[in-house]
Formats: sequence, structure tokens, C-alpha cells
Amino acid sequence: MMELLQALEGSAFSTWVRESPSIWAYPTILTLHTVGLGVLVGANWMVDLRVLGFARAIPGSVLARAFPVMWAGFWLNAATGALLFAGDPTTKGTTAVFMWKLVMVAVGVVLMIALKRKLHGRDIDAGTAIPGVRALAATSLVLWIAAIAAGRWMAYV
Amino acid sequence: MNEALVVWLKSTWISHAMTTSQWAWPIAETLHFIGLALLIGGAGLIDLRLMGILKSVPVSAVMQMRKWAAIGIAINVVTGVLFFVGAPDQYINNPAWYGKLLFLLVAIVNVVIFETTQGERMLRLPPGEKTPASFKLAGAVSMGSWFLVLYFGRMLPFLGNAF
Repeated sequence: MMELLQALEGSAFSTWVRESPSIWAYPTILTLHTVGLGVLVGANWMVDLRVLGFARAIPGSVLARAFPVMWAGFWLNAATGALLFAGDPTTKGTTAVFMWKLVMVAVGVVLMIALKRKLHGRDIDAGTAIPGVRALAATSLVLWIAAIAAGRWMAYV
Repeated sequence: MNEALVVWLKSTWISHAMTTSQWAWPIAETLHFIGLALLIGGAGLIDLRLMGILKSVPVSAVMQMRKWAAIGIAINVVTGVLFFVGAPDQYINNPAWYGKLLFLLVAIVNVVIFETTQGERMLRLPPGEKTPASFKLAGAVSMGSWFLVLYFGRMLPFLGNAF
């Protein structure tokens, strides 16, 4: 495994991501990664908050529209995240906090899919509550905080 | 004058705490990114609605998310001030920092102008109705300037020398 990471780190591409003085290399990749975070987590939080009972004037039937936005943020960050990893594989690949971040992002995405399925075809505005939907939204909200914290912490290890 | 300000800020206990504590800076950064996501989520929703997306939802309904955007801004102003007090010298001569402040100002002026001239009309706009050009412009300026605030914030270490 370590040989593989070292081989990747020695590649021209990895060196470009890490060392290129171009504003289009590391700085732009990192900026896009931050944009993706804001779009994914921001859209997911708005749905979480609506499910938890805030902004009730927003019809529950439009919440489904937010999920493609979340996916756009997710794929942007999967792509830019892969590039950032390629630039620094031996450190990131051996750092516990990076593994924690991946786990939390994975769980966050699973919760996002679960929330979409729970809301699908059902109206959260109707009198009958959807079982477990609030717990799901609350967990999702907290989990993204943990994922952001893990991501930020990678700068300090 | 700037020199004196930097020296004075660095002599404060807040500045010491920000730079000597192992936890203060990373926690403030984490909060800053949480605020960022709240702001993009809340303001982004409102801006998209003003630009004409989700016409079936009344503008007054999406405006109920405004307090979450405001909470995001408040978190980021507080943590942003902490960064500045902690290490003023890495911002005061940093072109990216002035870019960030400029577009923060644009975003705020845009909101104030929109609220004072179109605020009433906005809340009365019936669902399904097209948003007028002034609404679309305000939404686009807001979204554009917030993303530029993010861009220049992220560029602090690259256009300047901030950590």
C-alpha cells in the first residue's frame, strides 16, 4: 500500500498538484473543494432544518428539488478531493483524521439518500408524521459538522 | 497607523489566545466553515428564488430561512475578527483580504438596497408569479458577491501570505 502511495506521490501529476506555482493548480482545486462543501452541506442543512420544523411556509413537496444540488456539490468534492489526495497521498493516506473524514462523508451521503427516500412520495406537511424523519435530519445536521471539523483538522496534522 | 494597530492588536489577550492555544485557531476555522455552509445554504436558496427558480414557493416562504443565513454571517464575522486580531499582520497587507472585504461590502449594500426599495413588494409577490428584473439582479449580485467573498478568503494564503 505504502509503495503505491509513494509511486503516486512521485508522479508528475501529483507533483503538479502540490508544487505548481499556477493559481489553477492547488489554490483553485482547494477553492472548488470549499465551494462544493458549501453547496452540499448548505443544501442538506436547509432540508434538515425544514424537516425539523423551521421555515414551515416552504412546501414540503419542493424539498426533493434540493437533492440534485447536493449531488452536484458531492461530485465536485469527490473530484477535487481525489485531486487533493493525489497531491499528498503518503501523508493523507496514513492520517487517521483523513480516514475519519472519509467515513463521516460516507455516512453523511448515506443519510442524505435515506432522507430523500423517506421524503419521497410523502408529504411532511400532512398531519401524519413520517416515522424517524426528524431523527434522520438531526443526525445528518450534526454529522456534517463533524465532517467539516475533520476536514479542517487535516490542515493541522 | 496600520503599524500601531497591528502592534496594539497583537498585545491583546485575545490575540495571544488565538496564536498560542493549540485549539483556538482550528476551532475558529471549523466554525468559520460551518458559517460558510449555513450562509451558502440560506442565502443561496433565497438568491435562487429571487433569480426565478422555485416559482411555486412564495418569496416570503424562502425568506424564513434568512435567519439561518444571518446566523452563518454572524458566526463568520465573529470568527473572522478573531483571525484578524490573532494575526493582523498577515491580513493588513494581503490583497486577497481587501478583495474579501470589498465583496462583503457589496453583498451587504446589495441586501440593504434591496430590502429598503423592494422589501414590501417582495413579501407580497404571489406564488407562481415571475420575479421582476430588480429581484433577479439582486439575487445574482448577492450570490456572485458571496462566492467572491469565499474565493478571496480561500486565496488568503496564495495571493497573500496568510496561514
